[in-house]
Amino acid sequence: MRGTRDEGRGMRVPRPCPCDTNRAPMLQLDTYTLPNGLRVVLNEDHSAPLVAVNLWYHVGSKNERPGRTGFAHLFEHMLFSGSEHVGNNEHFRYVQSVGGVLNGTTFFDRTNYFETLPSNYLALGLWLESDRMGYFLPALTQEKLDIQREVVKEERRQRYDNVPYGTAFERLLNLGYDPDYSYHWPTIGSMEDLGAASLDDIREFFATWYRPDNATLTLIGDFVPKEARALVEQYFGPLPSGGPFPQFNLERRPLNGERREVFPSPVQLPRVYRLYHFPKMGHPDWIAADLLSSVLSGDKASRLEKALVLEQQIATDVAAYVLPTEATGIFMMQATANEGVAIEDVEKAIDAEIARIAGEGVTADELTRAKNRAEVEYAHQIENYDSRADLIGMMSTYFNDPSLVHTWLDPYRAATGDDLQRVARQYLVAENRVTSLFVPESV
Amino acid sequence: MTIDRTIAPQPGPPRPYHFPRVARRTLDNGLRLLVAENHNAPLVSVRSLVRSGADYDTPELAGLASLTAELLDEGAGTRDAVRLAEDLGLLGASLGSGADWDASYISVDSLSRTFADSFAIFADVNRQPLLPQSSLERVQSERLMELLQQRDEPASIAGKRFSNLIYGNGTYGNTVIGNPESVARITVDDVRNFYETHYVPNHGSIVIAGDVNAEAALDTASRFFADWPARELPPRPEIAPKTFESSRIYLIDRPTAVQSEIRIGHIGIARSTEDYFALSVMNALLGGVFNSRINLNLREKHGYTYGARSMFAFRRQAGPFVVSAPVRNEVTRESVTEVLAELRRIRTGDVETVELEDTKNYLMGSFPSTVQSAGDIAGRLLDMELYDLPTDYFDRYRENIGAISKQDVEHVAQKYIDPESVIIVIVGNASQIREPLGTLGMPIHELDIEGMAIG
Repeated sequence: MRGTRDEGRGMRVPRPCPCDTNRAPMLQLDTYTLPNGLRVVLNEDHSAPLVAVNLWYHVGSKNERPGRTGFAHLFEHMLFSGSEHVGNNEHFRYVQSVGGVLNGTTFFDRTNYFETLPSNYLALGLWLESDRMGYFLPALTQEKLDIQREVVKEERRQRYDNVPYGTAFERLLNLGYDPDYSYHWPTIGSMEDLGAASLDDIREFFATWYRPDNATLTLIGDFVPKEARALVEQYFGPLPSGGPFPQFNLERRPLNGERREVFPSPVQLPRVYRLYHFPKMGHPDWIAADLLSSVLSGDKASRLEKALVLEQQIATDVAAYVLPTEATGIFMMQATANEGVAIEDVEKAIDAEIARIAGEGVTADELTRAKNRAEVEYAHQIENYDSRADLIGMMSTYFNDPSLVHTWLDPYRAATGDDLQRVARQYLVAENRVTSLFVPESV
Repeated sequence: MTIDRTIAPQPGPPRPYHFPRVARRTLDNGLRLLVAENHNAPLVSVRSLVRSGADYDTPELAGLASLTAELLDEGAGTRDAVRLAEDLGLLGASLGSGADWDASYISVDSLSRTFADSFAIFADVNRQPLLPQSSLERVQSERLMELLQQRDEPASIAGKRFSNLIYGNGTYGNTVIGNPESVARITVDDVRNFYETHYVPNHGSIVIAGDVNAEAALDTASRFFADWPARELPPRPEIAPKTFESSRIYLIDRPTAVQSEIRIGHIGIARSTEDYFALSVMNALLGGVFNSRINLNLREKHGYTYGARSMFAFRRQAGPFVVSAPVRNEVTRESVTEVLAELRRIRTGDVETVELEDTKNYLMGSFPSTVQSAGDIAGRLLDMELYDLPTDYFDRYRENIGAISKQDVEHVAQKYIDPESVIIVIVGNASQIREPLGTLGMPIHELDIEGMAIG
């Protein structure tokens, strides 16, 4: 919402699991569901006088229709513009004026809203979040919509249209998915669709998706569980659930061979962007891909960085990573050509490194380092209340099981070198990818 | 039980907060060691700093401090760059290095169970970096490519021009990463000289935060660094800012721009100012946080921008005060007008009590949420060391913010903000915005991307 958090592009995947089982206590989770369908997860922790209030709604740009793209994200902005008992911009003021920090983000599959407050203000956070879940529509006006629509258009200009390579992810999605498939467009949406959003569209979107039976509320921090339960019941208990959810066909049609484009744009250096299709997040092959991405990039000992940047010096930077997506899996790869190097030569060098892994596999040390990285990143995620709450919200929303935070890394630990080799052979092939080559306009 | 939704719930009694206790030791060679225990996660963050950064760069060799820092992980002791990364990876540790205006930094984050081995590598990187010629050439080339790419990034163009107009070509007038000419000029001897001269214990601090025993960590650090010889340092170059009698606009044409990148401001004040707390409150109210006047005005009232903000860049010497906003082409002039109006208004003492209290409460209350992790705490310890903050600084922070009055806000606004002599830099589509900007009654100077006058 503020631009400090990404909508998900390039976001590192959270990788849960206690990394030092001798020392790290298992998180104590108290999970239950209110009669109206709201799932609640409490994690009492008194290490700081804070409380994280975190809501994940199971709605994102995936739940938009062609011609009405950008709604979920525009909606995220609208939810900060007040509800029946909270004035326009008062949400921010209430939270910040007591020393809270807050934001919201939107991605393909979910939208989250969160504030970290001094723990004596838990009730304030619950009041604010429940008011916009239950009493948003009475406060909605055309004027608020018009202002936020302009803000989002500026966001699109600032982050996509006015910066080099800004539209790369959007182009890959356009190439990678058929126009009627929900990952065809990016979360920010198109300028045209943003312009077309009407008040009725917004009302309908809210009524369809923003309701207790489509959300997980996670509270972490310095509270007494019995009191927190009572407060949650008071603020969220009376809110009604809704009717059936619209259905989306999320069966992706396979590519018939590689889809490629060359896109001349105002950039100085050519850059290759690739999207490889994978099974969705959590599938064993996706987990192997996550580990494989660490073998390929991330430090100077990683395959692509070592070969392309350090040794051959044909690229200035490389990156490989998976995205946390629910409908279908995404493995991203990108590399910038050094001056005077043809981007096709960079592609060849990438393919040679992939072929080497497909042929010879990864070393035991490489596998260990990849697993270590996953464990450390997880430890960092659970260290802070706010990122820990996001992790729990994600497990609940995508996998319907908050307790997955205890076991999520088990398959990472169990993965073998053979798994990584097989995944490289099976998925990191031309027929399974789309490629966008950003090249300087003059070339 | 039903609740009254029409009023915000009242808070419970506030819970106490204390910054972690800091154990300190100063070695005979002058190196200062600080350790703060935090056992929330099995992680340790280690940071070192030397109090030399890009402020020591000469205009000819701008970028030297950051290039030196960047080369530190290209091998150290008996390990080359790849071996270093491999061994750290096997320990579950990660290494970083870099420089800003005030200092150069090295960091290692590790698991607590691999702290000792990770710290040994960290010590090598601090004391025995290889700084190889071959790596310099590669890193230099990467830096040149980075600078080349920045030519297409409007925010980066605007920032560079703004600094250069205020500080000229001296300290703070280039960017930390230098410019193409200066970077190309840097030799491995320059890098090694910079390292030998500035990476000395009497000029540095090491901080450790996280899941360690404080006394044991101090002993470990002492063992690795006690025999590091001290050395005299050259005097620090001083800034030579320009002063302007009146406001003026510098316009840099970017014909493809769909937004105007605006920078408005002038020189600010050093971190050591006695007005630091008053300035923090005043700036937060003016443009430092989401609910500040400038952002509410430009974004929430007008929808001109995705976000606008103001900041005092607090450094060892006086950094800039700057308002930044990317806005759509058609409202460039209006945005400048609104920002200037906010700068004038904050000087009049027109501050609501509730507005002041909200801002102070935010600064006081949000502090604990910014120091949850070992890395967060290490960062605060670095601040303490870099700016010689008193040992009780973070415990007294809330009290110091709480004491700021309306008069203080008005006083520092008048003292440190001068809306009648600002530099306004705009990177945007000149053919669309030139004419409207002309009606502001300020001289407009058109520059190319390198800052050379056009016409």
